[in-house]
Order: sequence, then C-alpha cells, then structure tokens
Amino acid sequence: MSNPSDRNAAAGSLVDVGEPIVREIHIRATPETVFEFFTDPAKLTRWLATEATLDPRPGGVCHQDHAWEDGSGGSYHMRGEFLEVSPPERVVFTWGFTDPDVGVPPGSSVVDVTLTPDGGGTRLRLEHRDLPVAAIESHSGGWTGMLERLATAVVTTPGE
Amino acid sequence: MQSVLDAVVEPRRREILRLVRTVELPAGAIAAQFGDVSRPAISQHLRVLRDAGLLVERRDGTRRLYRTRPEGLGELRSFLEEFWDTRLEALRQEAEQETEEQRP
Repeated sequence: MSNPSDRNAAAGSLVDVGEPIVREIHIRATPETVFEFFTDPAKLTRWLATEATLDPRPGGVCHQDHAWEDGSGGSYHMRGEFLEVSPPERVVFTWGFTDPDVGVPPGSSVVDVTLTPDGGGTRLRLEHRDLPVAAIESHSGGWTGMLERLATAVVTTPGE
Repeated sequence: MQSVLDAVVEPRRREILRLVRTVELPAGAIAAQFGDVSRPAISQHLRVLRDAGLLVERRDGTRRLYRTRPEGLGELRSFLEEFWDTRLEALRQEAEQETEEQRP
C-alpha cells in the first residue's frame, strides 16, 4: 500500500492536536516573584507538583511528580529538561511522562512561559506545543484518568 | 473514545476526514473521490465516523452533507486547557499571597 492517505496517516496529519495550547493570566505580583514559582522546587510544589527536582539552566533537569488524588499514593512522573531560563522573562522546558498510560513521553512536548510586566503585576503567557500524536491516538484514557486524579489537587493550596 | 480510535484506524476514513475538514460535501462527492471503493462501503465509513463524533451529518433535501467535527479529536487539548487553567489559577493565588506577605 502506498497511496497518499497511508503516508499522511504515518505523518500523523489527522490526529495531531493543531495549534499550540495558549493560556494567559494576570497576576498581581512581579515577574521576579512569579518566575521563582517555576524554578524553585519549594515554590513549584505549591501549585503544580508534589515533588520537584529542578536545575534551572539550559539542559538542566525539570522533574515533577504529580500525585494521583485517588488516595493510592501513586504519582505521575514528569521528566522534563529546561531549554531556556531567562529570569524574570522566560522559562522553557520539555514536558513528558515516563508513565506510558499518559501517552506523552519525556522530551515530546514543550512548555514555554513568558512573563511581562503589566500594570504593577505580571502578564503570564503559557504555550504548550509539540504534543505528540500518540497521546490522542492511543492513550486518551490516560489523560482522562489523570484529569480525574488531578482535578482537585490544586483547589486547596497551602496557607489558605 | 474507543469508537474514535476504531474509526480512525481505517485509512479511508482518515482520508474522508481530511476531505471534509474545511468543506462540507455530499456523500456522493465523497464517494467519487474513491474510485476503488463501493458506494455502500463509503456510506458505512461515513456512518462509523458520524457515530464516533468525528463527522457532522446534515440533511439538505434528499442529500446528506458531511463535514469533520473538529472537537471530535480534541480530548487531549481539552484536558490540557483545563489542566493549565486550574494550575495557573493556583499559581496566581500563591504568587499574590506571597506578595501580600512581603508587603510592609
């Protein structure tokens, strides 16, 4: 078989996820303050992960464990790498999980965060790009399960 | 979601989704693109795709028109959008709280 549809299928042209995911949010804190929440493990674990090992320089590890919220004690293991660390303006790291059921293997996608001063606070823009085809082809169940486990994780944050 | 996976493993169904991604076409015009496939077979493919939520079917008189339903493959995207929205809101709260605490 060598018709065009097979080649397209091999390239994943149908089941890609299209444009990058882009999120923007305004935070009433300086870019310097916000930036540390991406590079300081003690701060990253206040909003994104339960455990973190961070070496915030290009090529440095960006490891985050995301706990299941089902009480089983299990966790998802995000094993990324910092690509750019430019305080307090930009931090870029790869995003992927060693857990096969998540379907996004290490190194496969990129999270690109830019911080811009905005009225005494910060305009944060997060772009998540290069998500692999496999995640949606074969492992969407993993994402669904992960969503269920993580949905409540950040509602209650320490110190509130 | 399994029906989506089943639907897209067939190469001709992927080809159909590409054909009507940006333009709505009647079944006959879709079938005409596949000289080696019978019309009933195309109808079957269209039914599978529709039932999987990947195609929108619209009736126009006696014709049935089809186009790709873009959100059919958007589950991962939806997950990540909700994931980041939730996480970034937590980040906002934490960063603002820290700023409050530092204020004299």
